[in-house]
Amino acid sequence: MAELHIIGQIVGASGFPQSSLFCKWGVHTGGAWRLLSGLKEGQTQVDLPQTGDMAYWSHPIDLHYATKGLQGWPKLHLQVWHQDSFGRCQLYGYGFCHVPSSPGHHRMSCATWRPLGSWQEQLAQMFVGGGPQLRNPDLIYSGADRYRLHTEAMGTVELELGVIMRHFDKYGVES
Amino acid sequence: MMHNVCSPVLQSKGESLQQQEASLEPASRLQGLRDRDTVTRFDREVSIYVKLTNLRLELRWKSFMYKLISIIHLPSYTLKIQVGKGLPNAEEAYNFFTFNFEPDPPDESERSSVKRQKQRKIADRDEGRGDEAEEQEEAEDLFVIDQSPQDFLEVKKAVYVGYQNLIQRENEQLFTPSFRTVPTSVKLPENMKPRYLEDEGLYVGERPHVSLTNENILENRILKMEEGKKWFGDDGRIMALPDPIKESSTRPPLFHMEEDVDPSLQTVYRKVRHTRCHSDPEGDYQLDVDVSGLIFSHHPLFSREHVLGARLAQLYDQYLTRQHNNLTGHLTDKVNPTRQLSVHGKIHGGQSLTQAMTTRQLRDSEQEKDRTLLKNIVKVWKELKALREFQKFSNTPYKLYLRRENVDRASDEREHEDEILAEVVEFEAESEEDYQKKLTEYNKQLEEWKLWRRKQVPTYLLAQEASESEGPIEEGPPKPEPPERPDFDSIEQQVREKASRIRRKPGEAILIPELSASGNITASELCPRPEIARRQDVARRSLFIKILYNDKEVSRTDSRSLNTDFRVHFGQIFNLKIVHCPQSINLQVFEEIGSSCSLLARVFVPVPEPSVVTGNVPVEEYEFSSNQRVMFDHEGVGSDVPLSFEADGSNKQTLLTSGKLSCCVSWGIGEDDVPLAPPVSQQPGGIHSGLDRLDAVTYIGASGLYDMKKIGEWATQSRLDPNDPKNASIMQLLKVASSGEVTAPEYFRLEHLQEEFNFVTDEELERSKRFRLLRLRNREVAEFRNYKCVPALEREVTDKVFQEYEKRLKEGEIIDTKEHLDSHRALVAKYLQKIRESVINRFLLAKHHYVLSDLVIEEEIPSIGILGLNLFKLAEPKRPLKPQRKERKKVTAQNLSDGDIKLLINIIRAFDIPIRRPQSNKPGQVQVRPFVEVSFQRTVLQTTTADGPNPCWNEELQLPFSAPNGDYSNASLQSVKDEVFINMFDEVNDKDRGKSIHTWVEKHWLGSVKIPFSTIYSQSRIDGTFKVNTPAVLLGYSKERSHGANGGYDIMRSLSEGTFITLFITMEPQLVPGETIREKVSHFDSQEDEHLLQASERFEREAAQGYPDRPCITTVIDLNGKTVFITRFIRPLNPPQEFLDAFPNNPQEATALVARFVSLIPSLPDRVSFSGACDLWSTCDQFLTLLAGDEEEHAVLLCNYFLSMDKKAWLIIGTAIPEGPTTYVLTYEQSRYLIWNPSSGQYYGQYDTFCPLQTIGCLVNADNVWFNVQEYTTPMRLSFDITKANLWKPFFSRSFSHPGLSSVQPEELVYRRTDKAAAAELQDRIEKILKEKVMEWRPRHPTRWNRYCTTTLKQFLPKLEMSRGQDVTEGHRHDLKRISGFPLHLPFCEIRPIIEAVYSTGVHSVQVSNVEFALAVYVHPYPNNVLSVWVYLASLVRT
Repeated sequence: MAELHIIGQIVGASGFPQSSLFCKWGVHTGGAWRLLSGLKEGQTQVDLPQTGDMAYWSHPIDLHYATKGLQGWPKLHLQVWHQDSFGRCQLYGYGFCHVPSSPGHHRMSCATWRPLGSWQEQLAQMFVGGGPQLRNPDLIYSGADRYRLHTEAMGTVELELGVIMRHFDKYGVES
Repeated sequence: MMHNVCSPVLQSKGESLQQQEASLEPASRLQGLRDRDTVTRFDREVSIYVKLTNLRLELRWKSFMYKLISIIHLPSYTLKIQVGKGLPNAEEAYNFFTFNFEPDPPDESERSSVKRQKQRKIADRDEGRGDEAEEQEEAEDLFVIDQSPQDFLEVKKAVYVGYQNLIQRENEQLFTPSFRTVPTSVKLPENMKPRYLEDEGLYVGERPHVSLTNENILENRILKMEEGKKWFGDDGRIMALPDPIKESSTRPPLFHMEEDVDPSLQTVYRKVRHTRCHSDPEGDYQLDVDVSGLIFSHHPLFSREHVLGARLAQLYDQYLTRQHNNLTGHLTDKVNPTRQLSVHGKIHGGQSLTQAMTTRQLRDSEQEKDRTLLKNIVKVWKELKALREFQKFSNTPYKLYLRRENVDRASDEREHEDEILAEVVEFEAESEEDYQKKLTEYNKQLEEWKLWRRKQVPTYLLAQEASESEGPIEEGPPKPEPPERPDFDSIEQQVREKASRIRRKPGEAILIPELSASGNITASELCPRPEIARRQDVARRSLFIKILYNDKEVSRTDSRSLNTDFRVHFGQIFNLKIVHCPQSINLQVFEEIGSSCSLLARVFVPVPEPSVVTGNVPVEEYEFSSNQRVMFDHEGVGSDVPLSFEADGSNKQTLLTSGKLSCCVSWGIGEDDVPLAPPVSQQPGGIHSGLDRLDAVTYIGASGLYDMKKIGEWATQSRLDPNDPKNASIMQLLKVASSGEVTAPEYFRLEHLQEEFNFVTDEELERSKRFRLLRLRNREVAEFRNYKCVPALEREVTDKVFQEYEKRLKEGEIIDTKEHLDSHRALVAKYLQKIRESVINRFLLAKHHYVLSDLVIEEEIPSIGILGLNLFKLAEPKRPLKPQRKERKKVTAQNLSDGDIKLLINIIRAFDIPIRRPQSNKPGQVQVRPFVEVSFQRTVLQTTTADGPNPCWNEELQLPFSAPNGDYSNASLQSVKDEVFINMFDEVNDKDRGKSIHTWVEKHWLGSVKIPFSTIYSQSRIDGTFKVNTPAVLLGYSKERSHGANGGYDIMRSLSEGTFITLFITMEPQLVPGETIREKVSHFDSQEDEHLLQASERFEREAAQGYPDRPCITTVIDLNGKTVFITRFIRPLNPPQEFLDAFPNNPQEATALVARFVSLIPSLPDRVSFSGACDLWSTCDQFLTLLAGDEEEHAVLLCNYFLSMDKKAWLIIGTAIPEGPTTYVLTYEQSRYLIWNPSSGQYYGQYDTFCPLQTIGCLVNADNVWFNVQEYTTPMRLSFDITKANLWKPFFSRSFSHPGLSSVQPEELVYRRTDKAAAAELQDRIEKILKEKVMEWRPRHPTRWNRYCTTTLKQFLPKLEMSRGQDVTEGHRHDLKRISGFPLHLPFCEIRPIIEAVYSTGVHSVQVSNVEFALAVYVHPYPNNVLSVWVYLASLVRT
């Protein structure tokens, strides 16, 4: 009956080759977790920074979970997309991070990557955009044999999460 | 000024040391000060003065120091150290503050010879650091300003140190370890011998490789260190762990084999795409639907032989699958080893024995099944043969061969015997065991018995003495019977019997059936007539298949004729280019006979997974069936018809048309092998639903765990590792499930370790009230939608919170008839509630769907034209006598709280109020003294009293408004159900009647107007003249016109009768009414043609652009939530026949009666119930069943009735007061247009001033929709000539003709007669309830009922109903009593509104002691349970 409240925001992203980014996000939990309120997935607006490299979204996250176990601690997965000047969208990075397991305010940055295609694909990507995407995005958090996947480092997504825990101590979880 | 520190290198070491010490001595302050001063002097002359003051202080300190030096006579530099350290002792400190120094003589003297000293100082830099020097410096700095820099500078050459010197010097500082091997003795503690662990046999790993030189250097260096020896091990070498580097790399090498990549790692190259406003890009996807063919397993045209043939084929199929699975063989194999185990090794005892037993039982049952199947096949084949013999022709090509496989008799027999013996042995063992068990039991009992007996012995001996012959008295437990030994012979007998039943006899040939379709079919000429007829019928039929994607037909196959073997081959592949996410794929099988075709069955094909692509999917067979009843007079057996193959007609079977459709659906493959499937994220269920595949529970849902098929699918998709011990239980289950019939274990666990780590159980989690509350609030369940604060503690959540919600859930099933008085209404109310909920849920969903304009408000950029106009306005002369109307500021209803909103009600005037009847013809008697009382949300305000039948109040009343739950959101405000009641009363002042001073004031109700808040909210202001609902009879009052006093002053008014009141209602501050959700939810399903929908959208858009305030509707949403074109609702429908029969000669009367009937159906505004400004239109039959509807349902029904009565009728879409956007009916009769208000049953002429219809947007009839493009919208100024396209813009014109839309209405309405007795019963119940209520409202006074008056009223009410409340001929008045009261008339829907209406009249509130009441209720039944209720409540006061 422990409760976990995650309040925070996806601040923004930096380090991507282009600005004008938006982010799709979602929270995945194990079977022991119940969502009491809040939205567990969403999408930010497209931010086109006027100055600097960092795209700011300041997208709120407010989730309230009840849990009967520690397994499947919530994790956040992100997909950063780029919208180009023609209004077309392409994937810029996958990333995921665990929600911090200690209460308090946390500033996190989540590094992202994207699959690197064959050289033909890279060439096509350079000229006409687009790019390889995972056929099964669940790979982001599953432990398949990833070493076969060639990826390219993209930017980082900044997150600020406030974690409030309740009654975890009742069940012997010290926080 | 040069610094005095120079490189120590040049001097001797001792000197340099001294130097260093000395350089310490000008401690930071002094040194720094000196430097600072030089800077000051040349750079910042301006700040000199400030510096000076600072310096003075410094000087004071220094002079003191100087004093000290001179006093104590210490060598100058030792003191300096002290000073440098800055540690004046207590005495010094004391002196510093108290001692008064004289100015230093040296200072004075030296000041005069600054130059000299200065030069000296430069010369001997080494010594020139005395205090005096400094002070001199300071002093001289102050006064000598105009010196040139050259005075302080000195040019020196660069210092060079030779290489050799450098090396030498470095050697002095550095230590270079030698690279010679260190002898072991040095490295070990003294008197220790090296010890080699390896020689002692211990394992020593290989040391990491280090070159010998390096090692030596290291050792040498370490030895120099303190405790250096501790780094060396026992063998005299540096201690080291074994080499951690593995010989071979753990990570497998990378191979660039693209095709070998794990499917979950595959990437897809996606082009950049344009997105719509949705997040998910919708690409062009292709769905390939391959319809290969169709096989009927039963068809109505089957002959009897076909039926048998089909059965045979089916059995044979079954046989083949069983053969393929070979379950019997498996089990037999399994039985043998277990048996050996249990027989030979008896150690295992019971357990393996029982295991063997169960396996054997399973095997036996399987064998039995095999055998019966074989028998059945043979039986059916025999029947088929017999049938062919009998009818002398054959229809089917089936032929069954039974192949005999001979076996070696001897070995077979031996095997058989072995088998039986083994089984017998097993049985014996089992019964033996059983016997042993029983025997031990018996022995135990025997012991007990003996024990008991022994106890008996003494008494028994005594007894023996008394009577010798007496035997023991059997009192104790009876002597146990020894168990019977099992009869082994009978066991063998049993086993043999069973074997002969289920197994083939030893030596008998194995029969293998083989079915072939090689037989001949008798030619048609040779067949009897009925068979020929059947064959012809078959030939006439053909089939085709429609493919429906998301319930829309996308294509259909060619029509193929039915073969004689009832197989149809299509072999067509359809490539569907799709844009929307697939929800359903539906194949409909149609049968065509000649030109007519009928739907035979529909087959729902699951939407394939994105990984299912064309080319790798096998064709699957989907079964379908239809329950159509078909009968023939020829040989065809028909469908859903009992059929018997027995001679005596027994054992009847009913066969339904059924068959298998083989088809496959897969995602297409585009160029370069990219599957044209939407990514997983696009499948409904959110962006990231793909991740759930790894977790079986989340993927298939907990309920799916019982579904073997789903688990199987999941297992294949997630590629479970069959060798992983974790998955053993699943694999086992799957194996068992796929092999069929063997019973599987009842459960298995997916997250098998989860439970151990759980904090609490699921039930406990579910039980938590707080969590439940939070979740319900999150789900936006109606009761909790605006629940503000959820308590933080579990115990603070009371059960009360859920009571209402649970009650509602429970009420879903139970219908409370008590509350509704009428079971039919109760059902309807429930049904409506359900519709309402589903619609509200849909709207809630739509509400979360934002468009850009919801989030971003963009102010329009003023164009040059507007700017110019505004500038021009500035230059305009001010005209104070012509004030400009100021726009009120609109407030969005978000940041409001209770009390912020006020309802402003301006009561301006009233016309034609009934006046009191003169009682005694006294001249100068007041006619009427009316006032108006407004009540809203429990606040009641009233105007002053005016005089006369045409009063003018001109008063503004302010009523506070509070929203439910303090929620001022749009949706909540729209769903406010409160109404503003405006009641008109006559104030009767009784002063003039009696002689006494005792006066009393009485108010008599004259009429009322009800305006729902939702109308005010959506209209934002209401301005107009309303008809007051006056009771049909007002006792003691009459219309002024009856006097005929002021005829002809207003001709317009005389056209309509009744009392009117002019009102202006608005809200302060003005709220922005919420936009309708309809605009957002534009993607309602529809079965209309796409062209039509587009055209209607265009039509509406153009209308809205050209004339924004004229409502225009072309499509509406029906009760199923589908968009329907509006003209489909119009169709002539018959009114109840009795209305037409009632006035056969007077069509006018009949029309009025029909209108009255329609108006008697209760009204239920959609706007209120659906909170989203969405109209749902129901068809007339639905409307009559539900008996509740909005204005448009009334209007549609009325219009349809009028059409069937051969009138010209149209539907008017417009706005009226007070309803707002509404629907009226227009008729054309006797060369004039009449406007009907369907919910009141009233009609108005086109030029009627008081017609509530204000705007006419469009006219609708069954053929077309016309939009008003005239200058004006009021009916008075309109021309209704719809043929003129410049006045009325038609929807269907020559360019876009009417496609022949069929009506959604039924052909004919069926009416039920309403039960008179039920009406009478209802009447009694209402009367009883009302009487109770009246007494309840008068708690302090006795309520007496006047019987006589009641009966009079009762007789009067039916007359009123007959005259439809118009004839106000009243012949009943009681002279003895002052009577006040009036009949109320309502359509019946529920009891509550009746009670409220009675209460609002306030008749009960008479406080006089001798008052009596009379109450009469009359319920008049109309067809279809439409009830008209009259309530007559009167109060009588004895005079």
